[in-house]
Amino acid sequence: MRDGIAFARRDIPAIALVTSEFIEQAEFTARSAGMPSAPRIELPHPVAGTGTEAMAQVAKNLMGDLSAHFAGATS
Amino acid sequence: MTALLDAIDEASALDDLHRLGCTDGLPVVIPTPARVDAMVLASGLDGDLVLGTMGPAGGVASVRLVATAAVMAGCTPEHIAVVVAAVRAVADERFDLAEMQATTHCTAPLIIVNGPARQACGGISGGYGALGPGLRANASIGRALRLAMINIGGGRTGSSDMALLGHPGKFAYCFGEDEENSPFTPLHVHLGHDPIDSAVTVVGAGAPQSVMVLTDADDPGSADRILDALSSALTSIGSNNAILGGGTAIVLINPGHAETLAGAGHDRNSIAEQITARAVNDAQTMAKAFRGLDPNTDTTYPCLSDPADLIVAVAGGAGVYSAVMDTWVLGPHRNAPVTVGIELDQSCEIPWADQG
Repeated sequence: MRDGIAFARRDIPAIALVTSEFIEQAEFTARSAGMPSAPRIELPHPVAGTGTEAMAQVAKNLMGDLSAHFAGATS
Repeated sequence: MTALLDAIDEASALDDLHRLGCTDGLPVVIPTPARVDAMVLASGLDGDLVLGTMGPAGGVASVRLVATAAVMAGCTPEHIAVVVAAVRAVADERFDLAEMQATTHCTAPLIIVNGPARQACGGISGGYGALGPGLRANASIGRALRLAMINIGGGRTGSSDMALLGHPGKFAYCFGEDEENSPFTPLHVHLGHDPIDSAVTVVGAGAPQSVMVLTDADDPGSADRILDALSSALTSIGSNNAILGGGTAIVLINPGHAETLAGAGHDRNSIAEQITARAVNDAQTMAKAFRGLDPNTDTTYPCLSDPADLIVAVAGGAGVYSAVMDTWVLGPHRNAPVTVGIELDQSCEIPWADQG
């Protein structure tokens, strides 16, 4: 989340990918950093360690949301 | 921690503080205005003086808020100068506090105190059980920093502090280097401070891993055995330093082991150089940790990048046990240790027992 905010502060479109267990922390971090609406997408938890196939599926499912977010950020 | 709470008595106030997530889970001393005012007075500093900001919340660490944490932790007025220095240290951007509070690693700020403050600030111990219970100054000062990290920095277990397990040092993690029984230059002097000055060196550290080394006075290999054992604890493929490479690591050498090393001609620099040179894994070992890593190469994997990244301190009772701590290693500054002077000349003696 902090990296996403750092990019946003440099006017570089960025979306934080946050697994469900870390959503509360992400919201707290975004609020604390003064950017409560910093874009983020929730992923299932965990992603790391779930195996190549499962991670590829997460990435595939993510693409639509990710494209829509970036389209919104740049429109 | 900026709002003033009303409660009918101290038991209700304690319940409120627990409910609001302002404690570490243990009972605290209720920070009444009188107690906090007295602690600020004891610091000799203006209550509004800002010591720094503390992440991840970005809370402003004023002397008054830090004094509040110190009261809650059970500090006496003698302790406050060390608490102030420790807060200044973790608020330094090199410490990576915001990231450190948020990580899933168990890291906690380890406070190493050097110089006359060890005696002047309530008797900060570096002897038997220096990291254990029963030592009021060690426990209270370490706990005060944790309560400041919770209430000013906003590090709350499971929501903003995401340590998967944590470790007991997250309650309090503070000791004084045993300079009197150490054959080496005190740590703060090694880092450029004057011997008559006092300082805290604060570093984000994992739990202490006990290191057993059997030495003999007539065994010329004893010093090497100590260096090998300390190095091998760091190279464990469960250690962050081994897996991630680089960053800081800490070795706590008991006075007996320190004497053996000094007897073999070692000083702080040569100990750090030797451990850095020995704490290296080969590809066969690292292949056990990393999927797909080819074990049949000559590649080596050092745990430390530079001997200066190893903190060597002397503490504990003399005997067969020393310890090492790994560090998180990640973070923008890779968890650099930060050393800050303790301003003993600012503190005031005040009547304390009367504070109700």
